[in-house]
Amino acid sequence: MDAFIEFIRSTQLSEILRNQVGWLWPLCESLHFIGLCLLIGAAGFFDLRLLGFMKGVPLRAAKRFIPWAMAGFAVNLLTGLIFFISQPQQYATNPSMWFKVLFLLIAGINAMLFETSYSDRLLALPSEAEMPVSAKVIGAVSLVSWFAVLYFGRMLPYLVPNPRSGV
Amino acid sequence: MELFTRLQESGFAAWVASSPSLLAYPTILTLHTVGMAIVVGTCAVMDLRLLGVGADVPLTALRGVPRLVWTGFLINAATGLALFTTDAEHKAVQTVFYIKLALIFGALLIYGRIRRLVFRRPGALAAPISSEVKALAVLSLILWTGATVAGRLMAYLL
Repeated sequence: MDAFIEFIRSTQLSEILRNQVGWLWPLCESLHFIGLCLLIGAAGFFDLRLLGFMKGVPLRAAKRFIPWAMAGFAVNLLTGLIFFISQPQQYATNPSMWFKVLFLLIAGINAMLFETSYSDRLLALPSEAEMPVSAKVIGAVSLVSWFAVLYFGRMLPYLVPNPRSGV
Repeated sequence: MELFTRLQESGFAAWVASSPSLLAYPTILTLHTVGMAIVVGTCAVMDLRLLGVGADVPLTALRGVPRLVWTGFLINAATGLALFTTDAEHKAVQTVFYIKLALIFGALLIYGRIRRLVFRRPGALAAPISSEVKALAVLSLILWTGATVAGRLMAYLL
């Protein structure tokens, strides 16, 4: 892992991101937080519908917010990569980071499972129909994993052997 | 100023700021982020809907918005106060902190106006969305974005 961290740190991109632009980090942090609001708001809206809230709203209609969740995710993937590439040692050996990645994977696999195996059937349901258990499970897993991603992301500076405060 | 000094020297502030427990500063800060995601995320979805995203989502679907917004707001008022006590003397003179408070205040005023115009006026839910409401929705998105950025910059600006 040390060799990997050293390799990332030694790249020119890492050096540029780390040393040459002082405002880059706060800018990316701000974008990362805007992205998370968009992602959790839009995905959460769809998840709540899957859980059976807002009866009368066709699932197909609720799904129109998903591209906004994906936009938020794209912003956060890009800014997250910038954080990682510029300071890999803060993340690569941090247990909080691995939990964050784990829940990202769970959220991603869950969304893929919805798309490949359940989406056609669920999108065809009448808007007043009771949501089947499969829909509720997918909605709950998604909601819980995105908040877990947020939780472990925010705990990154604290779930380390020598916690820093304030950032 | 003396009030802020006393606040910062209180046992509670000392516990939040320097307890080794993950339940102190880290969890309070994380809850503040959770509350932000709930408030800003919910308002963003409402604003986007008013601007035409998901036009086939009936506006009645947004009935639950106030409960979410106020839940998130209460979480953040409580956690925000707790975080304030740990650094009261500094926060009390930090410009970007007041900018953040002003942006949140503005966003909540706009939110109230949208609720009155769209959700409490008889017949408004069925009517086309007026350009006034659309302008308010844009303003709401701008103010919440600003508040989020200001909050983040509190860790970087003096």
